[in-house]
Amino acid sequence: MKPPRISDERLIELTGIEKWFGKTKVLDGVDFHVRKGEVVVLIGPSGSGKTTLLRCINHLETVEAGQVKVRDELIGYRMRRGRLVADYERNIAYQRREVGMVFQRFNLFPHMTVLENITIAPLKLRDVPRQKAEEDAMELLRKVGLPDKAHAYPAQLSGGQQQRVAIARALAMQPAALLFDEPTSALDPEMVGEVLAVMRDLAGTGMTMVIVTHEMGFARQVADRVVVMANGQVIEEGEPDRIFSDPQHPKTRALLSAVLH
Amino acid sequence: MHFDWGYFWSQLLTPSGAFLHGLFLTVLMAVAAQLLGSIFGLGVALCKMAPNRVLRAVAGGYIWIIRGTPLLVQIVFIYTGLAAANILRFNDIALPGGVIFPGSVQAGILALALNEAAYMAEIYRSGILSVDRGQFEAAKALGMPPAMMFRYIIMPQALRIILLPIGNQFNIMLKNTTLVSVIGVSEMLLVTETINSATFRTFELYAMLALYFLLLTSLWHLFMSWAEQRLARSSDRLAAPRKTLAGGKEAAA
Repeated sequence: MKPPRISDERLIELTGIEKWFGKTKVLDGVDFHVRKGEVVVLIGPSGSGKTTLLRCINHLETVEAGQVKVRDELIGYRMRRGRLVADYERNIAYQRREVGMVFQRFNLFPHMTVLENITIAPLKLRDVPRQKAEEDAMELLRKVGLPDKAHAYPAQLSGGQQQRVAIARALAMQPAALLFDEPTSALDPEMVGEVLAVMRDLAGTGMTMVIVTHEMGFARQVADRVVVMANGQVIEEGEPDRIFSDPQHPKTRALLSAVLH
Repeated sequence: MHFDWGYFWSQLLTPSGAFLHGLFLTVLMAVAAQLLGSIFGLGVALCKMAPNRVLRAVAGGYIWIIRGTPLLVQIVFIYTGLAAANILRFNDIALPGGVIFPGSVQAGILALALNEAAYMAEIYRSGILSVDRGQFEAAKALGMPPAMMFRYIIMPQALRIILLPIGNQFNIMLKNTTLVSVIGVSEMLLVTETINSATFRTFELYAMLALYFLLLTSLWHLFMSWAEQRLARSSDRLAAPRKTLAGGKEAAA
């Protein structure tokens, strides 16, 4: 049963995605969708294609076959004389504003203060006036619990703090959805909790989220739906309680027993 | 061996007006060519890394030709060769205030700049490639188009990395201006030769010329040391993980 905050509208829809790295097929006909307000967690053994799938959503990866749509708009490609061709970088950049991304290694801009990291995109891409952009940034910093770090540089922050800034930076563009690529994998264990807490708050506000993670406890708590991948395919999906207590696919069972025990 | 110390000191400390004008031309050409070459070189570097195959080939060919031929030949080719073929003739330009901008100086600056661009392009490229790939991805994920990504995210980081090589290039540029004497630009070397042909104080004059170049490059060296220290201080707070040169292959994407 889906919670009421999730609408039926499919915000993100991927169909028949195929992706090769050289001679390796990393995505093998994947269908995947995310509804508005939904929190979807992608799990799977390493090399199963979950991070690649996530990166296809905002076209950080090109695809060899299939379609990526965000709000019914084709991402990265356009029609020319009845055929699909690669879109212009400028158009792709425009489309990416709809979807924010949080990276495993934070990727904050090291030459900018925390405040500048958060305001650069709204200032340059949305023409928000500076004062408004900075007020919004401070509001976001309060949300992630770092209002006193506005003028610090990324290198002066701990990993957990950097990742919370990265979440604030992604939120500053007011995206329709947020993608998380193993957001706690590069963190020291004692910092994982603070980042997950921010993500949990965010999920509570009705934000549409797609999360690749190995934090199974967190997945079970926060996800509306868990999607399990192996060898470039979706092998199983469903509500977290069902996936974790009664996995159907043998590979899901193997994965869960390896991680949980 | 006879070294006329009196002549040497008087020339060194109270150089003639002609020599000072040569000094001015040397500095003017070096600064102008370095600035033009740096701008053009950035364009060449971006073309060399562009997704478009034609742009990459053109930029690659340009770098190949420029780095594969002597600067001296390029200077003569641009000034004398192009004029002989009626392709391009550098005429003197009268600037407001009665100052003449000689055609040979224009050609000299252009040749030095075109040469510099090829070397600067490779320096820019190495700097851009050494910026962590995650920086490109973060900028893209925010929705920045390529131009904005380079201006605000990539170049500020790349320039920190390539500050020293750029300083080195200007040191070389200061000295390379002497080559422009072959097309008749009265920069320091040619002025010295002219004075020499009248006075035959060859040893003293060339010693003095060398000292003037040493002075110019030393002043530049002092400036670069200062800039480097400032950078080191600011990098303490910017000390972020950064990939080494070999790592960042994806940079052009």
